[in-house]
Amino acid sequence: MYSTCRSRSFQSSAVHQWRSSVVLDSYVEKPARPISLRQLIFFGGRNLDERRIIDFANYVRSELPVRIAHRIRDMQKLPYVVVTNRHLSEVYELYYSAFDAFRKIPEIKTVEDNDNFCQVVKRTLKEHLTVIPSLAMGVLECRDLVPPEELDKFMNRILRSRISRRVIAEQHLALTDTFNSPFHFPDSSPHHHTGADFVGEVFPRCNAREVVETVGKHAQDLAREANGPDSRVPEIQIEGHLDTTFPYILSHIEYIIGELLRNSIQATVDRHSSAAELPPIKILICHAPQHVIFRVSDRGGGVPADELADLWSFAKGPRPQARLQNFSQVPKMAATLQELQKTSHTHSRREGQDSSLSTLTSRPPHLRLGMGLPMSRVYAEYWAGSLELHSLEGYGTDVFLQISKLGNKSEQLNLDGV
Amino acid sequence: MNLASSRLLLPRSLRHSSPLSYYSCSSSRRLLSTTPVAAPDGYTASNDEVARLATNPLKPLTLRDLVRFGRPPLSPQALLASARFTREFLPIRLCRRIVALRNLPFIIVSNPHVASIYDNYQQSLRIVQSFPVSHPNTLAEEVAFTEMLIDIVKTHANTIPTLARGFLECRRYISPAEATKFLDHHLRARIGTRLMAEQHIALHLASTTSSVTNNSPIDYDGGSDTYIGTIDTALQPAHIIESCASFVGDICELRYGVRPQLRIDGDPEVRFPYIPVHLEYIITELLKNAFRATVEAGSTVPIIVTIAAAPESAGITIRIRDQGGGIAPEDIGQIWSYSFSTFDQERSVAGGGNGGGTRDPAGDDALGRFNEVVGAAEGSSIAGLGYGLPLSRAYAEYFGGSLKVQSAFGWGTDVYLKLKGVGIGDFGGPGMEGLSGHHDDI
Repeated sequence: MYSTCRSRSFQSSAVHQWRSSVVLDSYVEKPARPISLRQLIFFGGRNLDERRIIDFANYVRSELPVRIAHRIRDMQKLPYVVVTNRHLSEVYELYYSAFDAFRKIPEIKTVEDNDNFCQVVKRTLKEHLTVIPSLAMGVLECRDLVPPEELDKFMNRILRSRISRRVIAEQHLALTDTFNSPFHFPDSSPHHHTGADFVGEVFPRCNAREVVETVGKHAQDLAREANGPDSRVPEIQIEGHLDTTFPYILSHIEYIIGELLRNSIQATVDRHSSAAELPPIKILICHAPQHVIFRVSDRGGGVPADELADLWSFAKGPRPQARLQNFSQVPKMAATLQELQKTSHTHSRREGQDSSLSTLTSRPPHLRLGMGLPMSRVYAEYWAGSLELHSLEGYGTDVFLQISKLGNKSEQLNLDGV
Repeated sequence: MNLASSRLLLPRSLRHSSPLSYYSCSSSRRLLSTTPVAAPDGYTASNDEVARLATNPLKPLTLRDLVRFGRPPLSPQALLASARFTREFLPIRLCRRIVALRNLPFIIVSNPHVASIYDNYQQSLRIVQSFPVSHPNTLAEEVAFTEMLIDIVKTHANTIPTLARGFLECRRYISPAEATKFLDHHLRARIGTRLMAEQHIALHLASTTSSVTNNSPIDYDGGSDTYIGTIDTALQPAHIIESCASFVGDICELRYGVRPQLRIDGDPEVRFPYIPVHLEYIITELLKNAFRATVEAGSTVPIIVTIAAAPESAGITIRIRDQGGGIAPEDIGQIWSYSFSTFDQERSVAGGGNGGGTRDPAGDDALGRFNEVVGAAEGSSIAGLGYGLPLSRAYAEYFGGSLKVQSAFGWGTDVYLKLKGVGIGDFGGPGMEGLSGHHDDI
């Protein structure tokens, strides 16, 4: 599936398949219907039964084509020269195929219908694994054609929408799994706590320290793989409120922490290559009433002042050619690393979760893409969090990741940023 | 340090015995506008002239401007040139402030506090303008000019708190946002104006042996050859941090009976060109916050101050990290606002009108008292008004730096102070032009 997508998109970058815009128009006219966190939980939990599964399936079935249609229209409004960029063109085709596939699915009436629907959802999720690197490369290649600010806005919108679609899709897959599992009995499922630490299937209770340790070890391993088995990696020291737990999408928090640690490790290794000892990376976990805060402090020399301004941009920033070169190696790995992921890396625990992130997380640390920080910020902000960086140029960097404790907010929070 | 300690020892009444000292507002207006030096020839700037001068072009003050006359001791020619430079641009700056005040609603400027500041500016303008254009031309004139500058600098020492009290009393008639905007602009403009005057005073003191020395309002280390006027071309931040920490630690010990520990790491040896009184003010404010939070949280964890030096002398970053519990999310939005809008609301004039009333000029909450005692380079006049952070940021930003606060609530606070440095030793290396008063009065 992956290879066919690629070859199709490369055969001609100038001419897209002609499609009537009438069908798309009718979907673009429909507003997306955001789902609240509370609704998301309500569909699952002890309320899970056949009717709810089918209700939710139909919600996802009707919602996905609408949300994709809006993003297709976004792309259609970009200059022709941008959309015919080979990478963006690939995304455009993927989106249009998905749009066509989902809009043609008839109403789901039975559990069997739903199982078929889930097959389409899974297939599409997998097909779209390459979307993030493709978007990022496209935006980099087009940065002289469109004001970078506009490209960044486009990128933010399309990524947020992507998160929103994948969350409801993955929630539905998870619910269906639970429903189909032989151990599922209504009212007795051990998964469905209602406590503040647990919000439905997609938001398991995450242990802050475990996340840092797991991701940290993974990042250290990757650095050793890349720099040689005898190479040194900085120690990762954790302090603060070590028993902090919070409900979150595991792959999201792992991706963000992974990117931060990857940056810190590589910066530390580069800066202290000749020193006898590598200064440790220090991570503070702070459990505030409404938030969990991660502070990552390294002594990797900081960010040069002239790079600070573009740090959060997908389109701007230094060394675009080198980054593109690095990017070109990521999509090729998507399929295989995806396989690897399931067997060797403990932190991709749930099949079907946003595993394109795992692909990125698993790339060697010297493959600098320049999108770790902006991507991480999109993911952090999506769930009402924040990501800030302070550079002590000539010394090191502090990054503050603030996570909202979603469990506390499930009543009022409408986080589905479609 | 010595300056700060001696201020500490001054009895409170003395510390407030500036020309702006007052207890009763009702009859204070005339009192407040007393000026040490009368305009020699009765010169009066007309309204038209103020408006005309205010529209004169004015570049932001740059460090290049401040060092353009060379390293002291200056030759008589250079000293006179410096005086004439100040003579030329000071009136423009004063006029711009006068115009800004004139554009405030009538009811605001009628307030005795605001009116007194307005009078001060008018008076200062009169005095400067009484010197003929393109003067001073002799060293005798230059001495008179410098004495005049010293008086002006002193007269305006309490501008900000006085204005803030005025706005506080007028808070019914002006929104906090407007008041904050005006104060912020005024404050930033004032940094440049004062710096211009103080620079000439310092150059004078370093280049002559005249008698005005005793009268100097500024902390001038005449013995060091790394100074160019108010600028120390080889300022060692670690040294200032240590002296400020020792001073703030003394206060803490006095007030709370404990002295938090402080450690400096990173690059304590680094030196860069900067204005010591500015850095001293900022560091004192930041350390006050860190020490106080540490003490009140009952923490024994040392405050860590990390000094980072960017390559090629591009600037320094100072990180002050405490474990004093951080700042509550609901308070974080307030930390940059001048707290005049909330300051001492209970005790302030009930009617909020211009009638005035009797009140203690100093803030009276716990932090206020603390600040009042600790008041540093800017003078204790600002103390107690919750000006520490916004004023520190204004100083940091004045020459292109920044000040950022990052709180981990329930744990501690990190403060990041960035200051740009330049190759000032050769009087204008690359980057010098960029180092201008970003928020200057232009």
